[in-house]
Amino acid sequence: MLEAVIPVAAISILFLGLPWLILHYVTKWKQASTLTMEDENLLDDLHDIARRLDDRMNTIDRIIAADRDQPARITELRPDLRPPELRLDTRTTELRSQALRKEI
Amino acid sequence: MARRTGFYLDKRNGKVMGVCAGIADYTGFDVLWIRVGMVFATILGFPFPLIAYLVIGWAADAKPGTLYASEDADPEDRQFWQKTRAAPGRTIREVRSSFRDIDRRLRDIELQYTSPQHKLAREIDDLRSN
Repeated sequence: MLEAVIPVAAISILFLGLPWLILHYVTKWKQASTLTMEDENLLDDLHDIARRLDDRMNTIDRIIAADRDQPARITELRPDLRPPELRLDTRTTELRSQALRKEI
Repeated sequence: MARRTGFYLDKRNGKVMGVCAGIADYTGFDVLWIRVGMVFATILGFPFPLIAYLVIGWAADAKPGTLYASEDADPEDRQFWQKTRAAPGRTIREVRSSFRDIDRRLRDIELQYTSPQHKLAREIDDLRSN
């Protein structure tokens, strides 16, 4: 009984299980990384723009610091100084971006 | 324009056919580790890694000169694309977060210039200078 089962099992694993496993992961891998040529160019552009804007922001930060005769401040750590009626505005944008994030 | 996420042989930095240097360029690992790993794999599993090496070296395209040029102009670009090959979604999120960061910094500057304190300080300065 066992002698008859082992070759059948071995052959079915070798010729059905293994190709299935490989093809399964190949299809998964192909689905996972699908950046088309246009996506690539777009990402390249966005990355470039982000970096240029970042440089400009640094320049503007320095200009403003020099203008106000103060050392450049770390903008990230500053508390929100706006009056409440202005703060409401950003909260709605935050909510909107959170909704966008959920969509993504 | 050549594909940025494709695999290329790195003939310029390669020793033999540029396969190991190409893998290093593609993944961002150090080329030395990949070469050492390749040698050990060849010793342990002779001759299959060697065959794989030759097939890749024969089949893959050499890296185009335009990509070398853009990477020489901007070394950070190379790291960016290595990360993109590993995880496209993550780099897209990183670009988005950098845009968010710029937006926040701009908002802070706008705030400094539109806040009542700033107006008051400017008016006091004007009075002093007059």
